[in-house]
Amino acid sequence: MTVDALSSVCNLGVLDSLSQSSIYEILEAWNSFCLITETIVEGDDVNLSTFYSKFQSDVSSLCKFGLRSLVEEQFLKCLQDMLEKHSAPKFWKNFDAYNDVPHAEMNDRSMQEDEVELLLCKALEEISREKQYQEKCLLMLVNSLQLCQEDNTSVEGRHLDMEKIFFSKYRLIVSSVLMTAMPRQFTEILHQYFKGRLEELSTIMAGDYEENDESQDNSQPRNMDIDGIYDQKKTLENKLVSNIGMVVHNLRNLGFTSITEDAYASTIFLLLKDKVYDLAGDDYRTSVLESIKGWIQAVPLQFLRALLDYLGDSMSYLSPKSTKSPLASTPSSCFQKSGKPSEGIVRWQLRLEYFAYETLQDLRISKLFEIIVDYPDSAPAIEDLKQCLEYTGQHSKLVGSFISALKYRLLTAGASTNDILHQYVSTIKALRTIDPAGVFLEAVGEPIREYLRGRKDTIKCIVTMLTDGTGGNNNGPGSGDSLLEELNRDEENQESNSLDDDINTDDKQTWIDIQRWEPDPVEADPSKGSRYKRKVDVLGMIVGIIGSKDQLINEYRVMLAEKLLNKTDYDIDTEIRTLELLKIHFGESSMQKCEIMLNDLIDSKRTNTNVKTTINQLSQTGAESREREVSFEVIDATIISSNFWPPIQDEDVKIPEPVDQLLSDYAKRFHEIKTPRKLLWKKNLGTVKLELEFEDKTLQFTVTPVHASIIMQFQEQTSWTTKNLAAAIGVPVDTLQRRINFWISKGIVAESLGADSNDHVYTLVDDMADGGKSVTNNEALVADDDAESSVASVEDQLRKEMAVYEKFITGMLTNIGNMALERIHNSLKIFCSTHPVYDKSIQQLQSFLSGLVAEEKLEFRDGTYYLKK
Amino acid sequence: MQFWWTYKTEWHAVASWTWDAHDETCGICRMAFDGCCTDCKLPGDDCPLIWGACNHAFHLHCILKWVNSQTSQAHCPMCRREWQFKE
Repeated sequence: MTVDALSSVCNLGVLDSLSQSSIYEILEAWNSFCLITETIVEGDDVNLSTFYSKFQSDVSSLCKFGLRSLVEEQFLKCLQDMLEKHSAPKFWKNFDAYNDVPHAEMNDRSMQEDEVELLLCKALEEISREKQYQEKCLLMLVNSLQLCQEDNTSVEGRHLDMEKIFFSKYRLIVSSVLMTAMPRQFTEILHQYFKGRLEELSTIMAGDYEENDESQDNSQPRNMDIDGIYDQKKTLENKLVSNIGMVVHNLRNLGFTSITEDAYASTIFLLLKDKVYDLAGDDYRTSVLESIKGWIQAVPLQFLRALLDYLGDSMSYLSPKSTKSPLASTPSSCFQKSGKPSEGIVRWQLRLEYFAYETLQDLRISKLFEIIVDYPDSAPAIEDLKQCLEYTGQHSKLVGSFISALKYRLLTAGASTNDILHQYVSTIKALRTIDPAGVFLEAVGEPIREYLRGRKDTIKCIVTMLTDGTGGNNNGPGSGDSLLEELNRDEENQESNSLDDDINTDDKQTWIDIQRWEPDPVEADPSKGSRYKRKVDVLGMIVGIIGSKDQLINEYRVMLAEKLLNKTDYDIDTEIRTLELLKIHFGESSMQKCEIMLNDLIDSKRTNTNVKTTINQLSQTGAESREREVSFEVIDATIISSNFWPPIQDEDVKIPEPVDQLLSDYAKRFHEIKTPRKLLWKKNLGTVKLELEFEDKTLQFTVTPVHASIIMQFQEQTSWTTKNLAAAIGVPVDTLQRRINFWISKGIVAESLGADSNDHVYTLVDDMADGGKSVTNNEALVADDDAESSVASVEDQLRKEMAVYEKFITGMLTNIGNMALERIHNSLKIFCSTHPVYDKSIQQLQSFLSGLVAEEKLEFRDGTYYLKK
Repeated sequence: MQFWWTYKTEWHAVASWTWDAHDETCGICRMAFDGCCTDCKLPGDDCPLIWGACNHAFHLHCILKWVNSQTSQAHCPMCRREWQFKE
């Protein structure tokens, strides 16, 4: 082997000049060198100095023959063999116990943390000792080599260089040997170790942190007792940190820098994640960001600071022992951090905070739906999310996740339109905080709007929500008047805006405004126009669902008409207020008709008083007034300007004779006062508050005139057949049957089969006590008219208005065959520009056409309409 | 079994008013008589009708505007007879 080595290393020319003695000398020196090397490398407690002189002379003689590289290689090889055969297996053997334990089980067993800790420390110490010893040996070689080199050159720098080269080579050997043999679960063990230590530390520090909080509250200097505890804690903490520091240091020395750092970094992140989950949880009513930040400062950063400080200290303390050169002792870039601890800490802090932001953001985004459900209460969570997003900029994540949550949980057939609308409004309000420009709102709102457009009762619900404080929502009180409030707030905003406009004429202000301009966020969809067009206005966004404000106003008008017609007093204060608010948003001219309707009510009140006082004066003079059962006191009237009201369901009904008489007197009087205007009674409309006095009790009912007419008929005749009664009242039989059910349900009228199977007999119940329900009470029983409204619904109106175009549409379809919705719409716009001007929206046309399809007049296939054959 | 209405009964009726002009729209502004002329916001008392001697009705505001715009004797826009307010 030696000869081989010689021939391979040395210049062959030199071989020729070698004398027998020099060969002998070389062989002897080589053998002795090898022997000593093996001895000192293997020997544990061998006194190095005893071999030193012999070793040195061997080395120098070998060097003399130019075998220096051979010496170096042999020595390093010896160290490597030693590590491979002895140290590394011994080190890894410590962890054999965990070799076969599968991943999951390891966690279950929780590895008896103390045991792991002890094991790790011991193993590390052991191998570090061995390494130190080997380093000493290496130093001996280096010294010897330096000595023989000094003969030739004595440049200081080269000594250092040599040492550096050797030690880096050595370290490479150590870490590669250990790495190749590293068992798979070692990283897991490290994780466990750091987890255990950090948790311990965090409990100590968390206590500290809380205590700090308390002391901040008091703002009193700590007294001696706490000081004592504090010191105790401090020492405990220091001990723990130095313990960990030692382990980290040893690991680094063995070349496990990155593994170690991974291990404690991931442990810290895990801990932080747990902390965030723990703090944030399902509570949206408090802001958690600050306390998370505080915790980061108090626990992980404190730990890292201590650790980095410790490593920095230990390095300067340990390095002279191991090597003479501080330069050589810098094993990795990480130690440069300890040189500038503040920078390292800052970097860590940024990392940790970013991680916390991201974790919290993900947590909040995944629960955004719930958060928005209880929006006004969950405002702190929204605020947190906003801050997180400012940091992370992952808005798109929010949009995507929220849209899918909406689709899955809200936009389903099971959700009521009201709930969807409420959620929509909450979404608008909540997202407005996160993103004032409304870019993401645009994206999130689109699916909701799209869905709501497909629902029939959307407009109705919106109008109810807008105008009715409590109506329409089943979610309990409180959230009811939110939209009206919204209107109010917007009203104030508009006022301030208009103020702004005034100032805007000032050049200075204009300049300031220009300077304040900011570009749209990068996530903005350029097709949606600039943010100034996209002002986040709740009402605007709601109107956006419907498409046009006209439809909304129309629906409102119908609802308003219904409400006004059923009023028995003339109290319309709330309606006036709502109308004023609506006027602000939709413009005075679009609310003109509604205003006239309200005005009719006001006029009616005045006219009513006028008519009644004058008529009473008249009737008091007349003698016949005594005979009347009912006087003018009972009559009130609402007089409407029918042109401005939505079409009203006209139904003929014969009301009781005395009332009819009174009404015609009333109309006569009106004609006298307001010549030449005349009154046309809508006898089926209105409200009757009935108080019926029976022999033993009085009952009150609030019913429609038809109901009242029915019961009045029983005053004269206690039993009626269906046909006769219908004829007496002047309504169709089916209407009568529907209406009389009210009296049957109240137990006042009984229904029985008559002689003719089609002709039922209704009889006034004799003994009311049997009725059970008819308890003497003053509570007004309201005839809940099964959705029988006095005003034609918007759909009915539309059908009536669109009927004009039906001929056009069928004509077009006969000529052309089939047409898409758009084309029908455009054609109608072109052809119907004169007499029946076509002014409907495409949505209205669509709903009309689908009505025709339902009537089987048209057919709808592949997006086009056909005539039904 | 007998029952009576008591004095507490209230009958709240609904009626609509009309000018009873035997025609739908005003010949000048083409707006409905029961509505109001183009200049008015509220119908009824605020925008009354007026009949001429020829029995043609117009919104008061409309016919006044017409009469005032004529330099000489104004004529009824419908029948070209001399315009006289009906007594």
